[in-house]
This record gives sequence, structure tokens and C-alpha cells, in this order.
Amino acid sequence: MIVPTNIVLSVALSALATGAPAPGPAAATKMKSALDGKSVSIADVQGKAGTLVVFTCNHCPFARGWERRIADLANTYSKKGIGVILINANDPARYPEDDYPGMQARAKQLGLLVPYVVDETSGVAKAFGASVTPEAFLFDRNGKLAYHGMIDDNHKDAAAAKSHYLKDALDAVLEGHPAPVAETKGIGCGIKFR
Amino acid sequence: MLPALLPAIVLAAATSGSPAAVEVNVTDLAGIRAAVAAPGATAVLVTIWATWCDACRDEMPALLRFFHAHQPKGLRLILVSADDEDQRDQVALFLRAAGAQGAQAFIKQGDNETFVNAFDPSWTGAIPASFLYDSAGVKQRAWSGAVTPKELEAALRKVKKPTKGKP
Repeated sequence: MIVPTNIVLSVALSALATGAPAPGPAAATKMKSALDGKSVSIADVQGKAGTLVVFTCNHCPFARGWERRIADLANTYSKKGIGVILINANDPARYPEDDYPGMQARAKQLGLLVPYVVDETSGVAKAFGASVTPEAFLFDRNGKLAYHGMIDDNHKDAAAAKSHYLKDALDAVLEGHPAPVAETKGIGCGIKFR
Repeated sequence: MLPALLPAIVLAAATSGSPAAVEVNVTDLAGIRAAVAAPGATAVLVTIWATWCDACRDEMPALLRFFHAHQPKGLRLILVSADDEDQRDQVALFLRAAGAQGAQAFIKQGDNETFVNAFDPSWTGAIPASFLYDSAGVKQRAWSGAVTPKELEAALRKVKKPTKGKP
């Protein structure tokens, strides 16, 4: 049996805890959007009903699997008062598909109505403790982290997903309620930090 | 979901000598834990990876060199693939081409969420991820992202040697 002990060391960054606010400097960081080239911060997109930050990318099979659903949720809920921003923190030197032109093409292809921005130093992802793509952080109307984790429980097949974690959390936050599930973890592509 | 590179690697391996086949078993968490805790190793390195993961494929050659350098001293390497359960042949082909002989190879069984939560509470689910255990199966170190041979060497040196007379 594997027994965790007190000598465990891990280099994994710890992610924001439920109830925590977005880290101030990271939320204020201006990032270039692939939609229009304008610089925008998390604070800029903050919604009255809540704010959704998704760390995602172009190359990762998991991000690819979920991208249609991420775009649909982003476009739908941004019209309902949730501020939404999608952030790519990967180093394009490592993953060429994640470069700015690649992001522009993907934003267009998906018909994104919300900013898809470049985290140029990966500093925003690090401040959030994000480690995989895609990884969602949903803040409630008071700016407290209400949900952190996966989009749903099936990256390959939207129709086969049984637990719609992010959608359920978005609906709850819109109503001013706690998310039914506050945190989930799944296998994903590790963010290649710059 | 095979990476474009894979057929080229496999082809190269098939034409340049014959690396030993690597047996890949689809195994649940209990089976993987049993492999970690099985007696006879001085230390056990578990790496979770997938054929679709660029960083994982890039890490593999150095990881295997490290393993083969330390295997005679009792290091066990357990490669746990997050590929789909029906990708056994592709996983085996990749590992054979990569020269993973001597390593124990599994595809983890069951859904990702359950596996990530149950395998190790400190793991975010990002791959590659590596975990180093001592001879008693007690975790000594964990890495999220690719780990370098230098980091592995340093961590392995700190792993307590098994007590004489006990496996």
C-alpha cells in the first residue's frame, strides 16, 4: 500500500482555494487578446454575476476535446452577466500551435465572443496555481472562488458527460448559490510555463 | 489519438534492430499500488504519461536512460499510461521503440477523475507526473511536469536504503 508521509515534497503549485479571491496583481495583468489584439485583464472583464477564467490552449488533446463546450459556455454565460476570459499560458516555443496566430485562428474557428489572451510570462497561471489545460476558475459575484477544475467529466464526448461541473457551477453562481461541486481534478496536459 | 511522430518512431525501431517488446497491462489503481509495493526494489519510480502528451514523449528517453543506469542497483520503473484502455498496442509499440525494456507498463483502468483523486492527493492531474517511492512503498518525492535525470539522481540518493534482512 502507498502510504503518504510527512516527508512528501512536491513541486506542484497549490491552486487557489475555494472562497479565495483572484490574486490582485494577476487579475490586473493586461494580456493581448487574439480576438482583436487589444490588451485586457481579468479585472477588465469582471462580471456583475461572476467571473470565469479558463486556462486553456490550442495543442492539448484535452483542451481540444473540450474546446467547443468551453466556447459555448463562454459565449452563453458572458451574455448572462458572467465575465469570461480564456487564457493561454503555454510557451509557444515549446508548443508552436499555441502561438498568437494559432490562437487567432482558433478564436475565429470557435466563434469566440470573449477574449482569448496570451499570458506572456505565464505569471497569471502561476499566480492562480493553474497546472493543466483546460482548468477553470469561477468566481462568484463577490469575487470569491466558487468552482475550480474540469469542464465536465468527459473530454471526448459531450453527449456522454454525466457531471457538468462548470455549467452547474455557473448556474449556481448566477443564482447567488454555492457551486454544487466546488473542486474537481482530472488528467490534463501540464502547462508548459515560460 | 496517435501523435504524428509515432509511426516514424515505430518504423525507425522496426528497421534498426529489434528492441525488446514491452508488455502493457490495463490495470486498476489497486494493481498499480500492488506493483509499487511489491518487494525487491530499492526504490520505485512511477511516471504517469500518455502517447498523446508531447512533454511525456520528450521526457521518455532521458527517463529510460536514468532507469537503465539504476536498474542494476534495484530501481523499479512503473510507467502508467493515461491513454485509452483500447490503445494497448499503440502504447506497447511506443514503449518498445523507446527501449523501455525492464520497465513495468500499465494503462490505468477507469475514469481519469477517480484515478487522479485516488492515486495521490497532491497530484493536480497534469502529466507527465512522476513519483518516487522507497523500498517500503512510501512516497519520497513527486514531480509535476518533466523531471530531469539530475533531479532524479538527487532524489534517489536521499531515498533510505532498505534495512538488511528485509526486502
